Amino acid sequence: MVINSRSVLIIGAGIAGIQAALDLGDMGIKVHLIEKNPVIGGKMAQLDKTFPTLDCSICILAPKLSECYRHPNITLYTLSEVNNVEGTIGNFTVDILKHARYVKEDVCTNCGDCASVCPVRGVPNYFDANLKTMAAAYIPFPSAVPPVYIIDKNTCVYLNYGICGLCAKACGAEAIDFSQKDEILEINNVGCIIVASGYGLLEDVSPLTNYGYGKYKNVVTALEFERLICASGPLEGHLKRLSDGRDPKKLAFLQCIGSRSDRDKKYCSSICCMYTTKAAMISYEHNNDLESYVFYIDMRAGGKGFQTFLRRGSDEYNIKYIKSKISYIDVDEDDTPIITYEDYDTSEIKQMKVDLAVLATCIIPSQGIEKLADILGIELNNYNFVKTNPFLPVETSVEGIFTCGCAREPMDIPRSVAEASGAAARAAEVIKGG
Amino acid sequence: MTFEPKILGFLCNWCSYAGADLAGVSRIQYPPNMRVIRVMCSGRVDPVFIFKALLTGIDGVFVLGCHPGDCHYLEGNYEAEKKFMMVQKFLNMVDFDKRVRLDWVSASEGKRFAEVVTEFIESIREQGPSPLSGENMDQELFNNLKAMENSVSSDRIRALVGRQRKITEVENEYGERVPIDEFNNIFDKAIHDEFVRQRILLSLSSKVLSVKDLAAELKLDPSEILENMLTLKSRGEIDYQSIDGNTPLYMRI
Amino acid sequence: MSEKESEDVRIGVFVCSCGTNIGGLIDVKAIAEYAKTLPNVVFTEDNLYTCSETGLTQIKNGIKNHNLNRVIVASCTPRTHEPLFRDCVEEEGVNQYLFDFVNIRDQDTWCHQKYPKEAFDKAKDLIRMGVARAARLEALENIIVDATPTALVIGGGVSGMTAALSLANQGFETHLVERENELGGRLKTLYKLFPIDLDAQTLLDNLKKNIKGNKNLKVHTSAQVKNIEGFIGNYEVVVEENGINIDLTIGVIVVAVGASLLTPTGYFGYDGKIRITQHELESKLQNNEVKAKDIVMIQCVGSRNDERTYCSSVCCMTALKNALIIKENNPESNVTILFRDLYTPGTYYEDYYRRARETGVIFIEYSPEKIPIVKEHQIKVHNEYLGEEILIPYDLCVLSTPLVSNNDNKALAQMIKVPLEEYGFFLEAHVKLRPMDFATDGIFVCGSAKWPVDITESISQGYAAAARASRIISHDTIEVEGATSFLPDYNKNLCTGCEVCIKICPYNAISKNEDDEIEITQVLCKGCGLCGATCTNHAIIIRHYTDQQILSEIYAYGGKEV
Repeated sequence: MVINSRSVLIIGAGIAGIQAALDLGDMGIKVHLIEKNPVIGGKMAQLDKTFPTLDCSICILAPKLSECYRHPNITLYTLSEVNNVEGTIGNFTVDILKHARYVKEDVCTNCGDCASVCPVRGVPNYFDANLKTMAAAYIPFPSAVPPVYIIDKNTCVYLNYGICGLCAKACGAEAIDFSQKDEILEINNVGCIIVASGYGLLEDVSPLTNYGYGKYKNVVTALEFERLICASGPLEGHLKRLSDGRDPKKLAFLQCIGSRSDRDKKYCSSICCMYTTKAAMISYEHNNDLESYVFYIDMRAGGKGFQTFLRRGSDEYNIKYIKSKISYIDVDEDDTPIITYEDYDTSEIKQMKVDLAVLATCIIPSQGIEKLADILGIELNNYNFVKTNPFLPVETSVEGIFTCGCAREPMDIPRSVAEASGAAARAAEVIKGG
Repeated sequence: MTFEPKILGFLCNWCSYAGADLAGVSRIQYPPNMRVIRVMCSGRVDPVFIFKALLTGIDGVFVLGCHPGDCHYLEGNYEAEKKFMMVQKFLNMVDFDKRVRLDWVSASEGKRFAEVVTEFIESIREQGPSPLSGENMDQELFNNLKAMENSVSSDRIRALVGRQRKITEVENEYGERVPIDEFNNIFDKAIHDEFVRQRILLSLSSKVLSVKDLAAELKLDPSEILENMLTLKSRGEIDYQSIDGNTPLYMRI
Repeated sequence: MSEKESEDVRIGVFVCSCGTNIGGLIDVKAIAEYAKTLPNVVFTEDNLYTCSETGLTQIKNGIKNHNLNRVIVASCTPRTHEPLFRDCVEEEGVNQYLFDFVNIRDQDTWCHQKYPKEAFDKAKDLIRMGVARAARLEALENIIVDATPTALVIGGGVSGMTAALSLANQGFETHLVERENELGGRLKTLYKLFPIDLDAQTLLDNLKKNIKGNKNLKVHTSAQVKNIEGFIGNYEVVVEENGINIDLTIGVIVVAVGASLLTPTGYFGYDGKIRITQHELESKLQNNEVKAKDIVMIQCVGSRNDERTYCSSVCCMTALKNALIIKENNPESNVTILFRDLYTPGTYYEDYYRRARETGVIFIEYSPEKIPIVKEHQIKVHNEYLGEEILIPYDLCVLSTPLVSNNDNKALAQMIKVPLEEYGFFLEAHVKLRPMDFATDGIFVCGSAKWPVDITESISQGYAAAARASRIISHDTIEVEGATSFLPDYNKNLCTGCEVCIKICPYNAISKNEDDEIEITQVLCKGCGLCGATCTNHAIIIRHYTDQQILSEIYAYGGKEV
């Protein structure tokens, strides 16, 4: 039952966008949910476990993904971006650029035969933080929603050279359709818009050369580490030194990489203290011999249950917290990272060899946010996050366009979910209140 | 011919069933010996089900739920665990407890699902076919398990296991809680007593017997039999039928 | 075809080949043939893709032509296509709960690829179990109750006001109950609000203005909730306002009762005069009473210790805010903040911290093992950074204390039957995915009642609770899936009133009514089955997963009834 013909357009189908969509859909309001990736779930789907409950991330997310997909009031547009916006609050017209998937969404049975015959291998899978590769016919992860495969137009040989087409022959359901084209869809009668575009990561735009990222094999980013400890990731949860496959004994977690920094981003990335403790805990669960050292400036754990979580980390999971911001990493002949830090108690500079160094990199505004802000006409703040007033936390500078979650400021999942519901309430006021 | 175990699995919709599906989606292979009954929550698994399954001759029963703390229904798996532990206590009395298992598999653990199932199947394979399967069924064992089924179906046992968590883990109005050891003392005795009583009832369902007959049949001390029979009599479940010389004979009511 | 066991039951079995995913390993035609031999099966068919339009049409035709009243599809997994097939059979007049799904792909052919014969046998077994179950399935209707489109918000602070306004703006009659004689909560006594140093009164006045102008929003001040009965969509609430009882019929409830301030008696020589709390400092600043020149603030007073392990999250920003005001009023003053970890996450707050540093506020880290010692005019602190003990003179010492839960949370929690966590704050259903909900449907929580939060989060949580509540009352009725727990009339005599079911239900869906009878509030039931598995006298039935249905599957596999 749809209350009002006016709809809400939500940009971004990460946990925030999905939550807002579900809340509005449940209220009887029609939702158009736009996602630039081929599947929904955002960063949360890539996590192994979440703090402070150590819930399996995809387990608690999957029911929401299914609900979104099947919700009678939610229309999902994947591989889609907002191309143009006209109008004002209560009556926006939005053009969506929907990229071709080359697979018919209502026919594909998610069997995977196309991927198994595809001759193009070695395509980096963004879902596994590019640590794993896939074929040109792919689905980022097995329980993805929509449960439909995709042909990657950049690497598919048929689309680029007109040869092969093995997937189409292998597909029993005849779901492959190379004739699909990118198209522009016009959505009218949009009452309001919610920007839930989430975040990007510093390593996407910054080389992090001081830390040898990309050069030293045993230096990884937090997201890469998350995929490494994940049971469904490249190492199936069995942590190894990436240079030689040996079992690690010592892990170093370096906080504030590129954040709280005059050189990079001045702000605090807000979630890293907690996710680092979580990552160290999960690692310890797999291997009780591991020692973890967290090098930090301030440990930020103000949310519900967060302090208890930290305490558990140091009491039960062999995690030691060392107050010392690390500014560079060296390696020895064995590719073993060497951390140079200050021992707070003795004021001495010391060095520690670790098997893996994990960089808690700053979370940054989502790629493409500037273009999106331009299209929407909304202001970004000096850090390029969507600008909001702290006492009107989900409102942008344009009436009728709301925002929530990491699109506006780095924050954790509980806050993103709460803000998403908050944005939904404000959108509902517009749609229902008149 | 090598023995292929017959395994029954109870899988909860949100975690273990999803984990099993993931194993399939990921084409992770495991032996084909298990058949699955899907329930919404592992907490739905009534202990009676487990005994019924074993009584049909199924070689092994596996209950798989969400990891502690992750139950979709908040507490279901904790209750499942208590019930399962009780089942094990019963089965332990006849050395049958290794044919049942409880484990936790999350929706993202396809590989782990395959591993734990494979391991259980192999463990059952080593134990051999259930003495309750095949041509020469072990009647004594059958009767014992039937008595256990009836025990876990009885109100007293169900009340104890149903209240266990609240009594031992949550403080009451006065800030009191029963220590788990104290609870277990009571519970273990109740389990033993109820089993004996149900065995007595089973024996009396087809014939009349004296205390001495029952003591011999059940290989228990006559004083223990008598004590339990008095309880059964006071519950109105048995009574005297006749006297043979000086020895009363009992029957089921 | 075998003898039909019951004239009433006519089962159709559709075996899917799923292209070659199933059919490539096992002979689905033979499976369909086998299914025909099972009791109550009157029609079977194998399909290439049962989920395709063709397949769905085949199901509908099967139902029509053979008068089927039970349908089984043996294919992939119910977790993907059960809703699709349920809708399909409903469209052809078969109740959706008379549909059953047998998983012979994800849990058979896909994972036993080296054992085609065994996979085939397994499929047969699973279908035999499914048929036995299907014969015992019953048609069920979803549970529908009316939803009264009214809301009750308990607590008129910033979070409660925000929630109430949002609900009222959405068109719902909303009752805002506040125990003081004026709305505002803590906002009434705050001076400036971080991080933009907005005047608290400005924010409050704005909220009050919006509230006054909203005809849907009814404010009850000097009022308290006296009693709450009923369940989601249908609460009967008694509010005592100025001594008069008012009866309200309410659809949803939002708890926004905020938190209290800790008086740090016994900490650092607190005396309320020269060793004061941040809140006391704010009043003084507002009245321009701060003449001190050397101010030292101590963070984490009464928090992040063994007694109270949590971080109250707002105190660091509060200290910075007040420090900035002091510095602004008197640039010559010396302000020192003794901290453990400075909590200024995100963009706004980290900027604010920088600003404070730039105005010359001094930050000294202390460790919990070496707590500062506050003497008459000096504070001795072990400066962690220097590794030395220093003495700081002060004429005003400000203690940053945590927000703590209200003393009367317990009474309210008992009235609404919601839980509290270990520090007395309200406990939500799931800290990550349902942060504003209680496990009991229809009741929500926001703001510091749940956990210490700043104004920004109090506001967004207020909106969030409004959204969650709105979902319920946006419709005339509330519908719940029919597979719930239920105590049928014919089993009432079996019930001994032991109440184990009441205690075991995670959703408080079971209660005793005035006649001392067990009542299961269907609309709250989530169908987990705990009560049925525990009921001491087997009185409770779990629809769609009944004992009989499950036992039939066990017997079908085991090969005999025992």
